[in-house]
Amino acid sequence: MDALEGVTVVDLTSHIAGPYATKLLADLGARVIKVERPGGDGSRALGPFLGDEPGPERSATYQFLNTNKESMVLDLKRPEGHEVLARLVEKADLVVESYPPAVAQRLGVDYEALQTIGDVPVLSVTNFGQTGPYRDYQLSDTVLFAMGGEMWSLGLAGQEPLKTGGTSTLLQCGAMAGIAALGGIHAWELHGVGQHIDVPLFEVQIQSIDRRSSAILAYRFSGRVLEAPITPHAAPAGGIYPCADGYVEVTATFGNYWNRFREMIGAEEFSDPHWDDQSFAASPDGRAAADAIVYPWMLSHTRDEIWREARRARAMVAPLFTGKDLFEDPVLRERGFWAEIEHKVLGRLPMIGRPYVFEKTPWRIRKPAPMLGEHTAGILEELGLEPEEQQKLNEAGVVG
Amino acid sequence: MSSYLPLEGIRICDFTAVWAGQSATMYLADLGAECIKVENPYIWNPMTRAASPRIDATTCRFIPAWMGGHPESDPGPRPWNNAPAFIHVMRNKKSFTVDSRRPEGLEVVKSLIRISDVVAENLALGTLDKLQLSDDEIRKIRPDAVILHQPGFGTTGDYIEGRGYGSHIDGVAGGTILRGYRDSAPLTNTQIFASDFVAGTHAAVALLAALRHRRRTGEGQVIEMAQFETAAQMFPQAALDAAWNGSEHGTLGNRSIEGFVPNSVFPCSGDNVWVAISCRTDAEWEALVRYMGNPAWAKDDALATAAGRAQQEDRIEAEVAAFTSSRDQESLFHELQAAGVTAGPVLNAGQAAEDPHLVQTNAWKRLPATDDYPETEFPIPPMHFSQSDVGLRTPPALFAEHNDYVYREVLGLSEEEIAAMAAAGHIRDTYDDTVIQSA
Repeated sequence: MDALEGVTVVDLTSHIAGPYATKLLADLGARVIKVERPGGDGSRALGPFLGDEPGPERSATYQFLNTNKESMVLDLKRPEGHEVLARLVEKADLVVESYPPAVAQRLGVDYEALQTIGDVPVLSVTNFGQTGPYRDYQLSDTVLFAMGGEMWSLGLAGQEPLKTGGTSTLLQCGAMAGIAALGGIHAWELHGVGQHIDVPLFEVQIQSIDRRSSAILAYRFSGRVLEAPITPHAAPAGGIYPCADGYVEVTATFGNYWNRFREMIGAEEFSDPHWDDQSFAASPDGRAAADAIVYPWMLSHTRDEIWREARRARAMVAPLFTGKDLFEDPVLRERGFWAEIEHKVLGRLPMIGRPYVFEKTPWRIRKPAPMLGEHTAGILEELGLEPEEQQKLNEAGVVG
Repeated sequence: MSSYLPLEGIRICDFTAVWAGQSATMYLADLGAECIKVENPYIWNPMTRAASPRIDATTCRFIPAWMGGHPESDPGPRPWNNAPAFIHVMRNKKSFTVDSRRPEGLEVVKSLIRISDVVAENLALGTLDKLQLSDDEIRKIRPDAVILHQPGFGTTGDYIEGRGYGSHIDGVAGGTILRGYRDSAPLTNTQIFASDFVAGTHAAVALLAALRHRRRTGEGQVIEMAQFETAAQMFPQAALDAAWNGSEHGTLGNRSIEGFVPNSVFPCSGDNVWVAISCRTDAEWEALVRYMGNPAWAKDDALATAAGRAQQEDRIEAEVAAFTSSRDQESLFHELQAAGVTAGPVLNAGQAAEDPHLVQTNAWKRLPATDDYPETEFPIPPMHFSQSDVGLRTPPALFAEHNDYVYREVLGLSEEEIAAMAAAGHIRDTYDDTVIQSA
């Protein structure tokens, strides 16, 4: 049995954050009905594409974000579209939407409007929430990270601040929305209470538990503002080093980690007692002397060799993997990380697999991301629409 | 009950450490679970309550603000109660002390497990087994327990002995190699620990799903969350381009993987002041051009499409930077947004703390002073429920703060038993001195 068996989600979200939240639910067994606008979710146009050839059914990003979902095309700008939506919402245990608040109101998919259909939890994944001066402002992954992600201290002093890779900022927010969605489902099933839940992306980033909210609390406590470092290296060793075939990340702060790091390198030079003296080891001279030992060692070893030695010595060292490394890594293969999709247009392809392993209830890919409108007819039938009504809606372009 | 807490009636026996584990249980506590931290006064868990139990005003100044910014930069006698990096993952929790390595301590822990629904841990591999709290042992005590393990690199496979914090997980998950300045090796990347945040949120999702299954079927289960596999979910474009097309991704600097041009940060007037701008559509580009006063260089037809702009991205970035560099950050932010361009300030911690939108939308909650920190605005759960009382309900659990409550009310020990546990050093209000001196 799937953990979320019997949960029906009407998913009005698009792009990345909202769809990632509902993907988390779908992959654990929820039925997610993705309502796409005519033309489809804009994320169908996001690369990479199979064979670098764009097309609405060829986006790897869309495929990743929408595994196990059903797709129904519905024009919410039309009153007839709303009648269909109302019937859908009556079947739902949760509605998720990610429209800007003003647009949600205009389309009649805001909480007030949905509540008139029936009592059901509604999760809004918003840029800045339902109120406040920035309510109607727009965000991108980069602007979101700039405002909430502690970008200011990321990078090197004297150069421009740096963002993170890919669209990870939006995906992180999707995971938080996943928590809120399940919280809403628990309250619905336990207390029978439908309600409005709002997850503002800006706040998710600001309140992230890593160095972001820590930096803000540190400012409140001490007045100190987290600055970008002049050099990424912490003396006597630490940061990213090049090696024979790539790069490795090192933490070797004084104490246990420094001792284990020295043991990993195993160099005679590190047996000199001055390496136990923090005032030397942490000095620029100490750093230079350590570099003279560490760099040649790193460059004469591969990432695999270094990580094996690090694990033996319990040193805080790990390789920087690329996407290709993730795909080819034998340990990830053996652990069953990679999954597969069987897609009508794309064929059989590898897909990023489970983020966690459940003992009893599976994480599984039951079906690949849906083709645009693949499930429209079936769902309309399920909603009790007669074939003539369906045809009328089709011809009018309300559904597709 | 009128608070409609989603996890009403759920109790967590919490062995988690660092950010990845402690945030996972915090999100469940936010949703109403009673989360009881099991704290051993004879063991110092690195990066769980402070950088060091001996951190003082001098060392604070040498470490980055996020970790060293204790109140007034002076941690005082109990750094574990006021570290800016850790106190905020203690909200809505309870803390009690016990030395679980001793038989009578283990009995206390077992009696807590007996009345808990979730047992969560992310300690070094095998720690719970050594405490005689293997999955099987836990299930003997509590057959329907939901058990969470969050190993960095899994409980099977060659990497199980791998050590690391979020920064090392970031690396193996394929995230670090995608950061950095363009056309430069990733050697200058600083550590950001995003994988901790990702691990915490995903573990909470997993636990919530498992708890829902348990409520319907009575069946508990074990969840293994290998943090590097979870973190790898954040970089699907690079992994799938490799898997589908054999293509390799490196850093894009601040450019967009979604094809937005321009997409970067641009200097504003002042020192180290920046605005981020993304033209997500051609219409946003046209709006940016209008906002800049229709300069001749921008009216080039070749720049009308994102593909065309991508050909001249260096030049566009230089021109936009020249435009923004003499202008005020806040004005650029509001005027660009009003003009229909996606833009926002690169906020430093001080600006973020004082951001008017966050203040007006009550994104912070002021908590009263304790002996260890002054009255302060604390972060709250970034999810707002209109009915359920999800929020910062109780202040961060100080070390040992709830000994009385846990021993007396939760576990129901008698006065004599409590006195015996105190005499044996299980019930303490601070870490043992040997820990403070040697950790």
